[in-house]
Amino acid sequence: MFQTLPRRAVVAALALSVFFPLGLVFYQSVLSGPFFMPAARLSLEAFAFIFDDPDFWSATKNTLIIAVGMSVIAIPLGAILAFIMVRTDLPGRRWLETPILIPIFVSPVVLGFGYVVSLGPVGFFSVWFEQIFGSVPWNIYSMTSIVLIAGLTHVPHVYLYSSSALRNLGSDVEEAARLSGASPFRVARDVSIPMVSPALLYVGVLVFFLGFEIFGLPLILGDPEGHLVLTTYLYKLTNKLGTPSYHLMAAVATCIIAVTFPLVLLQRVLLKSAQRFVAVKGKSARQRRLALGGWKWVALALIGLWLLLTIVVPVAGVALRSVVSSWGAGINLLEVLTLDHFRAVFEEDTMIRSILNSVLIGTLGGAVAVVGYLLIGLTTHRKPDGLSRFVDYVVLTPRAIPGLMAGLAVFWVFLFVPFLAPLRSTLFSVWFAYAVVWLAYGMRLIQSALMQVAPELEEAGRLVGASRARVSRDITVPLIRNGLLGSWLLIFMIFEREYSTGVYLLSPGTEVIGAQIVSLWASGAVDVVAALSLINMLLVGCGLALALRFGVKLHD
Amino acid sequence: MTDKTILTVDDLALSYGSNPILKGVSMQLRRGEVVSLLGPSGSGKTTLLRAVAGLEQPHEGRVKIAGRTIYDGAAGIDVPAEKRDLGLVFQSYALWPHKTVFDNVAYPLKLRKVGSAEIAERVQAALKNLGLAHLAERYPHQLSGGQQQRVSIARALVYNPPVILLDEPLSNLDAKMREEARAWLRNLIVEMQLSALVVTHDQSEAMAMSDRILLLNGGVIEQQGTPQEMYSQPKTLFVADFMGSNNILKGRVAEIRGGEACVELGEGLRLWGQRRNDAAVGQEVSVVVRVEQVRLAEGPAEHRVGIDLATSMFLGDRFEYVFHAGSALLRAWGSRQEASGRRWLEFPPDAVWVF
Repeated sequence: MFQTLPRRAVVAALALSVFFPLGLVFYQSVLSGPFFMPAARLSLEAFAFIFDDPDFWSATKNTLIIAVGMSVIAIPLGAILAFIMVRTDLPGRRWLETPILIPIFVSPVVLGFGYVVSLGPVGFFSVWFEQIFGSVPWNIYSMTSIVLIAGLTHVPHVYLYSSSALRNLGSDVEEAARLSGASPFRVARDVSIPMVSPALLYVGVLVFFLGFEIFGLPLILGDPEGHLVLTTYLYKLTNKLGTPSYHLMAAVATCIIAVTFPLVLLQRVLLKSAQRFVAVKGKSARQRRLALGGWKWVALALIGLWLLLTIVVPVAGVALRSVVSSWGAGINLLEVLTLDHFRAVFEEDTMIRSILNSVLIGTLGGAVAVVGYLLIGLTTHRKPDGLSRFVDYVVLTPRAIPGLMAGLAVFWVFLFVPFLAPLRSTLFSVWFAYAVVWLAYGMRLIQSALMQVAPELEEAGRLVGASRARVSRDITVPLIRNGLLGSWLLIFMIFEREYSTGVYLLSPGTEVIGAQIVSLWASGAVDVVAALSLINMLLVGCGLALALRFGVKLHD
Repeated sequence: MTDKTILTVDDLALSYGSNPILKGVSMQLRRGEVVSLLGPSGSGKTTLLRAVAGLEQPHEGRVKIAGRTIYDGAAGIDVPAEKRDLGLVFQSYALWPHKTVFDNVAYPLKLRKVGSAEIAERVQAALKNLGLAHLAERYPHQLSGGQQQRVSIARALVYNPPVILLDEPLSNLDAKMREEARAWLRNLIVEMQLSALVVTHDQSEAMAMSDRILLLNGGVIEQQGTPQEMYSQPKTLFVADFMGSNNILKGRVAEIRGGEACVELGEGLRLWGQRRNDAAVGQEVSVVVRVEQVRLAEGPAEHRVGIDLATSMFLGDRFEYVFHAGSALLRAWGSRQEASGRRWLEFPPDAVWVF
């Protein structure tokens, strides 16, 4: 699209949207107090304070334990799952494909809540288990449980990347190995797995990185026994000193980014090399599947157990909790069934507003975000110059900033810039934060849609006399209509799922369900949290159903 | 340069990063002429075409179309592709899948703000001209490969560009259709008096379709001329080898007599041929003989060589004989089956080129 001037305007707006909030975080981190206080001056005392705080170090330790632990759990499980789903004749593969991806689209805070009401000390499943076996051998609030749950819920991420790598692997390379005399096992060991190892390496870094960002699960599961991670430590700092301790939060944020940003860059390098491996693939038209024989029951049981633990248990817990008035040992479920929680939700303006806002931000906000991503995508589309490379990195940057901090940074922007202040308590601020946080994800969707357009279709447009802008309007965009619809649905789901980004932007008028749950959880309003969680899952479910109806691929 | 020249490319150079693709190419296309850009893959022929079209970015040289400079590296002139007013038929045809045949062809006129009545008229005329009138409402995926190609040509011609560029126009058709399409396309170009620049990697296609051939090799023009000149007077070994089916033998110059040289090929084989470069006695040379120039002969005579026939193959319209010439294989054509054994082959000296 865009001759130079509008193109530059788009890039400038993009760079400003990304770097201004980020710059503000860095700036705030080297001040001695909140930036709006006249007494604040340049100093490193915020860093000195947090480095002196034992809580910071225990949070760092816990974060590392979780990041490593969940990689150790998720990577082998995800890779095995991918191998079973892609390379074997497991019955019912087609039906399992979607449920496997569900954890990606459920808000972690809802999941965490689901685990508490299902497996917590007085959770549904705990109580039932205790009735049958006499005692409950697990403690949902322990570090082990948190690591285990984090690991299990991140299996789909590993599954996504390793399955697409396995799918791209042509069976000709494996057949060549078979014909050279290798047994199926040797083929897997010597050919298949080495060929997908770049994808596994990439996904390993990705999961480790996600471990640093994790917020919803440790917020809910780590709180009762005081297990802090870096993000929850930052969240707790909010009112640590009585006054807003922005400089401390900014210092923690800076520390987190110092780890995540290199990881994001590393992922980029690894992804490129993984794709290079895929590029040498043979024809993958036909793949002979490995016959599982009797092992299929083991495989099915394994997948069933995993689905039970990661989806059925928490989701059923949330659903049940939202329709019972109270729960504990010795209570008959049928006697406590009620719809009061939903009634309570629909009687309170704040709750209704948060639901409406969530819907609005997913539908309209999602559409506007997709249009924005499309504009950015078109500025770099088939223009491999310096500006495009710059955009590449700009787009990548927000990936390194966990949603909680991005929301905080955007909040500061609206506080810091006088003419933006009136927008702070409107939904625009939340939308803006969401759009920036999910920039990299959205751009990947748009770019993969754009890449589907054969270059000569656009060149033909240029040759017959259409300017770049005309080609974009008349040829490129009409050709990716389906891709745009798919992107919009995926962005809708992601925006519904989002919870951490809105936390600091929560104010009357900007309530969204995710942030509302976080805030209500702190106040202990379990009944309403349950109802809102269920509504949240239903919204995501609607998006998912529509996406499946339109045949949208749930991954790029 | 006469005023009949419609396209002039002057010393055009282009690189991908530090990798030079075109190293100073100059050529001209005259009004009503068909010029083929011929060459092996990687020779830069497609890049040259795309640079003329404005789809690749040269860094040096000049391109002029119908008297208008559209690229001049030194003067900083670079007219964007859409302003060059050229027609390009893509190798893949590049029909827009979301537009009907009519809309595909109408789009260039729409961009030129032609009134809708006139658009309808001109598109219908163009489609009729190419035998597509009944397909106007179809979408590209409902057409056969040959029909898609015609739509693509109609789209490139509908706004009467001064020059039409064709990128491997026949390569997407199957072998059988290709020869028919070649005749049809040549006829169309001649009938409509188009000035065309055609990229192809197939020498017989280039010879059949064009008035002149430019043979590119490694980003420079190796030789240019009419198909007959290119075929019968190659200036270099590369050209001789690229055009036609050849026997290429390695040997050493044994004797020189005026414009002719005698080459020692080993195993007692000696051939007299035309000197095409200044190789001296004792120097290693390559001997090129077109397969069709080698004749099976009865008994020994001057310029005949006794040689062993290994096998003969039936090619449909002729037989191909395979001989052992030392460690190399020699091929010749004839009209009947021959049993293996000793044979006499005649090499007319003016058809034997020594490079």
